[in-house]
Formats: sequence, C-alpha cells, structure tokens
Amino acid sequence: MGDSSMKVNNPIRALGLDNTAGEGLQSMGLVIARAGLGKTAILVQFALDCMLLGNKVLHVSIGQSVDKTRKWYDDILSMLTDGEKIESIPEIMRNRMIMTFKESAFTRAKLEERLDDLVKQDIYKPTCLIIDGYDFEHNDYASMEELRGFMGQRGLKMIWFSAVSHREDKRVSANGVPAPCHEVDDLFDIVLFIKPEGEAMKLDIIKCDDCAVHPGTSLGLDPATMLIQKN
Amino acid sequence: MNKDLTKVRNIGISAHIDSGKTTLTERILFYTNRIHAIHEVRGKDGVGAKMDSMELEKERGITIQSAATFCSWKDIDINIIDTPGHVDFTVEVERALRVLDGAILVLCSVGGVQSQSITVNRQMTRYRVPRIAFVNKCDRTGANPERVTRQLREKLNLNAHMLQMPIGLEGDLTGMVDLVKMQAVYFDGENGEKLRYEAIPAAMAAEAEERRQALLEEVSMFSDELMEVVLEGGDIDPALIYDAVRRGTINLEFTPVFVGSAYKNKGIQLLLDAVEAFLPCPIDVENTALDLKNNEAEFKVTNNPADPLVMLAFKLEDGRYGQLTYVRTYQGQVRKGDTIYNSRTGKKVKVGRLVRMHADEMEEIEECGSGDIVALFGIDCASGDTFTSDQISCSMSSMHIPEPVISLAVIPVDNKAQINMSKALNRFTKEDPTFKTFVDHETGETIISGMGELHLEVYIERMKREYKAEVEVGAPQVAYRETITNRADFNYTHKKQTGGSGQFGRVAGYIEPLEEGEYEFVDKIVGGVIPREFIPSCDKGFRKSVEKGALCGAAITGVRCVINDGAFHAVDSSDIAFQLAAIGAFKDAYMKAKPVIMEPIMKVAVEGPSEFQGAVMGSINQRRGMIIGSMEEGNYTVVEAEVPLSEMFGYSTTLRSLTQGKAEFTMEFATFKPVPRGVSEELVKKYQEEKKNG
Repeated sequence: MGDSSMKVNNPIRALGLDNTAGEGLQSMGLVIARAGLGKTAILVQFALDCMLLGNKVLHVSIGQSVDKTRKWYDDILSMLTDGEKIESIPEIMRNRMIMTFKESAFTRAKLEERLDDLVKQDIYKPTCLIIDGYDFEHNDYASMEELRGFMGQRGLKMIWFSAVSHREDKRVSANGVPAPCHEVDDLFDIVLFIKPEGEAMKLDIIKCDDCAVHPGTSLGLDPATMLIQKN
Repeated sequence: MNKDLTKVRNIGISAHIDSGKTTLTERILFYTNRIHAIHEVRGKDGVGAKMDSMELEKERGITIQSAATFCSWKDIDINIIDTPGHVDFTVEVERALRVLDGAILVLCSVGGVQSQSITVNRQMTRYRVPRIAFVNKCDRTGANPERVTRQLREKLNLNAHMLQMPIGLEGDLTGMVDLVKMQAVYFDGENGEKLRYEAIPAAMAAEAEERRQALLEEVSMFSDELMEVVLEGGDIDPALIYDAVRRGTINLEFTPVFVGSAYKNKGIQLLLDAVEAFLPCPIDVENTALDLKNNEAEFKVTNNPADPLVMLAFKLEDGRYGQLTYVRTYQGQVRKGDTIYNSRTGKKVKVGRLVRMHADEMEEIEECGSGDIVALFGIDCASGDTFTSDQISCSMSSMHIPEPVISLAVIPVDNKAQINMSKALNRFTKEDPTFKTFVDHETGETIISGMGELHLEVYIERMKREYKAEVEVGAPQVAYRETITNRADFNYTHKKQTGGSGQFGRVAGYIEPLEEGEYEFVDKIVGGVIPREFIPSCDKGFRKSVEKGALCGAAITGVRCVINDGAFHAVDSSDIAFQLAAIGAFKDAYMKAKPVIMEPIMKVAVEGPSEFQGAVMGSINQRRGMIIGSMEEGNYTVVEAEVPLSEMFGYSTTLRSLTQGKAEFTMEFATFKPVPRGVSEELVKKYQEEKKNG
C-alpha cells in the first residue's frame, strides 16, 4: 500500500474535511471529551492527514513526553496501514515536530516564542498546529482570540485543540459546546465531541463551518482503535 | 558455593558517565570485605579504584570495560557487573544487561536524569531488568534528590518513590531517614562502616510521616494484605512493605529510590540491604532460549541445576593466560573437566579452569551452577555463544549489536608494530562485536571502525600500551555504505588469450536489493553450464566486488547476487577466470541497479537552558538534522533530533560557543539512510579525484 492509498482510506475523510488542510483555509478546531476517551487519537488522525498531504505539523503536547506522543502516531499509523511497512513513512514523519511542555511551564507567550524561533530561522514552518492539553479553565476569551490572530500571522492553516470536559460541570453554550469551552465556542470553526454510548463511541459534530457533514451528525468511532469508522 | 538460588543476586550498576558508579562499586567491595582499603577513581594514592583495572581506565577516570566481581552481603551472594557510562561503549552495557537479573541505576543528585540515563533506562526496559535507583553525590553543592526522583517519574516514566529521606544535604549530609522502619540511620567510623540507629530528628518527623503515608498508598497497590492493614490503620510490619515493594520492583511497576554519597561513605549498606530485599534472584526472572532441534521454538530455562546445561558467553577477554570467557549459567551445572558444546559451531570443548572474577583478580572454583556468573579459561568462542550439555541444543536469544559508524586508518610504523597490531586487532574484534577491522585492498591500509571517536581512541591507546604497537592514525571518517535500489541483469564473459593457457568464464544472472543482511549469493545454475567446482569462485568474485563500491569506495551492503546461466571452456576455465568473470559481471550490473550511498544517522539529544532552544535547533537544522521533538521543563529543554554523523564532527565546540558552555549533547547510532543527492555527488567527486591522484 502506498501513501496515496492511505490518504484515500484515511477515515478522517468521513468528516468531509478533505480540503481544509490543503487549500489554505484558516480554521480552528476543537475536540472535547471527558478524560481518557481518546481526544489525542482524534487529533493525531487530523495531524497525520495533514502530514500525508505534505503539510508540516507542529504537535504541542502539554504534560506528555515526546516518546509517548510519538507512540500515538506510530500506533495510529500502524492501524491505518494494517501494520504494513510503507516505504514513504520516514519521509512522511519529516512533516512532524513534537514540542512538549510541562503543564506548569506552558504559556501562550512561550509557544509564540518557540514558534517564532522555528519560523524565522527557517528551521521548520508548520501549517498545522496541534495543541493537546491546553488549559481552557485558566485562559480567557481574549487570550484565545490572540492565539487565533497569531496563528494567521505565522501562516498556519489549521489549529486543533483538545479540551477536557467534566461530567459534573453542566455549563453549555447556546451552540451546545460544553464547559470549559462554552464561552469561547464562537472562536472555533469546528467543534467535535466524543461521547460513549453504551458499548459504542460516538463523535458528535457540534459545529462545523466547512464540513461536508452537517452539525448534529454523529459519527461512529471504533472503541478499540479510536479510528473514525468509514461507514 | 551457595546453592540456594534465592540467596543469589546478579546485578549491574549502570548510569550516566561520572555519576560515580565505580566509586559506589568500590564502597560495596569494601563493605562486603572484598577489599580492605578504599582507593578513589582519581585518588591521590595513584592506586585507582579496584574495578578500573586497566591502566587507561585509571588514567582517564572512566570505566571502559565492564569488570565482573563477586561479593557476599550478609548471607547473599552478589555478582556485580560494573558497566561503562559512555555511550560509545554501549555494547558493554547491553551485554551486561542481557545476563543480569536486576540493576542499580545510579544518578547524580546534581545532574539528575541525563541523556545517557535515558539510554541506559531504555536498554534496561528492552531486557526487562528490574531496577532500584540510587541518587548519589548528595554531599555535592546543588544536590536535590527530590528533583531527581521527579525526573525519574517524568523523564523515564518510572513509578519512582523515595524509601529514604536524606538528613541534611550538600555539606550537611549526615544520614538518612528510613521511611519503612521509621528510624534515622547514621554512618560512623573512618569509612562509615558503623551504622548507628536513632529516632528520627524531631524537625523531620512530621515530613517523614507524611512521606511514609504517600509511600504506603503507592506500594499497597502491589499487596492486598498491605492494603488491608493500611486501611485498618494499625501497626504495619516492615516485612509487609518490603514484600509489596519487591513485587512492584520485580514486575517493573515500581522503582524504589535510595539516596546517599558513595564518596562520603553514606548510605551504601542500606543500598546493599535493598539489593537483597527488592532485586530479583535468578528464579524470579523468566529467561528464554531457542530450541535448535525444534524449529527454534522458544522455551523457558528452568534454573534447575539438575537439568541439562544452558550457559551464555557474554564477554571475552584475552589475558595473560589465554582467553577468558565470562558466562552466565541459566540451568544445569558445570564442573572442571566437563565437556560442553558450543551450539553455534557444534564443537565440543573441555572446561579447563573455572574462575570467579574479582576485577582483574580471580579465584579458582570447582563448579558453577544455575544463576552463576563466572569465567572459563582457554575456551575458544565468540561473544554471545551458547554452551550446552550434549542432551540439549539451544541458543539464548541474540543480543542487540549496533553497527559501527565511524572508521579510521591505522598505519603501523614498522614491521614489529605491524605484527603487534595484528595481534591486538585480533583480540579486540573478538572481545567487542562493535569494533571491526579490515584491510583496504586499494590503499593497503588497515581500517578500524567502531561506535564513536572515543571508542576508537581507546583501542588505539590500548594497542600502543598493551601491545607496544606504534601506529599512525588517519583522520576519522564516516563509515558510508553503498547499496542498490533496483534489480539489474548481467551476462559477462571473461576471455583472455595471451599465449600459454588462456582464461575463459561466462556468468549470467542478476543482482537485486536484499532486505535483511549484507550479502547473499544464490546459485540457480542447472545442467552444469558452470561446473560445480567454479561456483565458489563466482561467490568469491562477488564477495570481492562488494568490498568496495564504485560510487564512493564504501562497502556495498544489502545485495543478493544470483547466477542462473553461464559457460565454461574445458581447458581455459579456472578458479581465477570465474572470479574475474563475477567481478566483471558485478561491475556491469552495479550502476544499472541504481546504487545509492547510505550514511549513519545518529540520534542526538541536546540538553540545555531553554533560552538557547532556538539556537540549538538552528544548529541542528544547519547540520541536515531532523528535529524529532523538544521537551521543555521550566528553564531546561531537551531537543531530540536525528543528524547525519558526518555533520556532527566538531559539534561540541559549536554547541559550547552557542550556549556559553551551558548545554551538552549525547549521540548514539540510529540507522543508515541514503545521503541527499548533493552530498552524494560531492562524495562521488571526491572519490574519483582520490582515485585519479592515486
């Protein structure tokens, strides 16, 4: 199997977001779920999709190690390719850089400084940014807005966040986006919510301005692999 | 000899360079009465530490070869392998870990978890070696065992918890609080040999109680019995806690952390108690072998001395009395005079002398059994060979041996040096599988290759000192390789008629990429178009061809040569004619097979203050490096990258100037990758010029 067929088979296509990564659309997405339901797996699928299309991804992982983050990619890639050895994988991996921060060490200013280092020195120019573990509880609307502005200035096409929701926190925005992102939901173009339904896992599309799939649609997730199911 | 295997511990001592492993081993030997005076690694008495028996080790203050030693603590027999800390000697660490049941991971309380600690930890994980951590050098300025324990959790993903608290730190370190027995321990006497137990200092009592509770919460996960007692809130028998910690440690789910200062003789006896209490004995560890009579099916070795012998040779040394082979016995036993079988060669060998090693000294023993680490004298074998009795044919699973990445030419100054150099190289290549040597037929130079500049430097020094072989040394060169990417056919006739008997041989077939392995020859000749006696000649011709590629003169690897047709002449065909025909055929096909040059890629980790992260990344980028990731922890950042070795020469100087000397880096071999086109063109051009200039 070559990487072209991998693109075709990538279950992320189910969302109809094919053009978002490649066509210069600037969008900000959010995957929200309770702890341990597979947010990183979804983010990694988005990142891999960008990488397969030849775009560079910067994966910022807050509170996780480089090795652990890398393992997510290895596992998801191995599932997407059914464990088959693909020659172009090392080349695809050149499109990924992982940056990890301790929870206490991460600030928006620091991320901007690091990204500037990379872009201005021409070391690495990402077009897709993944921020896994961003603390929405302690960051307000203004700082999110600034981050969105910054994304545009640095030539990023996509930025994906993950957020942890809590069962006991019942706050929710008018669009149906749960806390802690209920007050910043209008800054996101796409909001996906992972929820368990009995034995199954569902990915609810709460908001999606550019998706082929309408908001309100619920996609199936394979609970074993967290890959979006093709059908 | 102690026959109760529960009273045996085979342990290694591994860590980052300069974290004090050898000093720690010296203290262990002192407290277990193996030596009667302590000598420091770079001590003023000039004696040097016991385990650094090589002159060079004493001089440089680093451990180059791992030395095995045996000692007894209370009623426990301990075999210790002291392993080198520098990454260039990583094969020594790997080989030691393969045969060990447990290990002490030594960390510097100031430096903490450094990149070599990460490498060593990865190696320990690969061989599933349970470990206890010892945070050494707590007497040093800036000591912070708490931070080191946190790093063990965060950087190495170990479930690490301190079982002790230091009483005082830096210059004020006086003893430890034992959080299991809840008592203070002090180390009196000239060499800290007298232990004094007292009540926990009042100022520390509350903190000690708090930490003990946290520890109990953690370790009770490994013992239902302990959990019950903890929940009930009654008095807790220390034996219950020991048992829980032991279970967690052996299952690699818990890493107990101990603190102290080997140099100041503090905490070593408690560490020895921990070796006994928490590290596994041979029967706690599952080891497997491959049954050679049953399609290499994996089976568990039994540790039973009554079963047929299974023994692994993990290290060779060529001493004054012949080859010394370090072995670990996994089942069965061996006595002096027994006949054993080398399962790789199928040869029978007689056990002449059996010795227990104590660094460079040895103690004659009559027999050894399951779980023992001893040495055999006068047995010819390679490192990694398995010995068995005649009832069984098996091999212990192979050890991971990295490929050499750097090479240099060595030129003996005279004839005597030439002879001595040959002897030295013969010994070194047998001892160390990562050290390789060959003669470049074009230049006539002897080339040595290994894992890094220091690795080769040490062997050159040893050549000079131990073998009196004076050699001139060329500049270090990257060990490039060539390989083919396509299949290509050949049909070549070698014909020569210049008076007397002529030469004739025709070979036809193809060459193709070989996924695994360096070279393979396949004979598909039918109908005798090439007579059987000339088939090995063809193989020989192809082997000569792969010694040096046409692109940059590097060895060709990953190639399969297949012959399926040919012709001969009743009078003019000969061994040499078919060798030359194969050489000609290979030459014809090689360029058609789209050859590429491969270069060694190193995994590089640069650690330094976060303010220099941009500069560090820039420097890696300039060196054709691929940044894998960066880990930022407060003011400190580690940048991980893959960089071609050819770009890493002189990097330490660059890094020093970029970071005001505040960052350091380590590197180890990762893989071979094709060089980019521009670099390839340059290498080809350089090689052509060298050839032209003779």
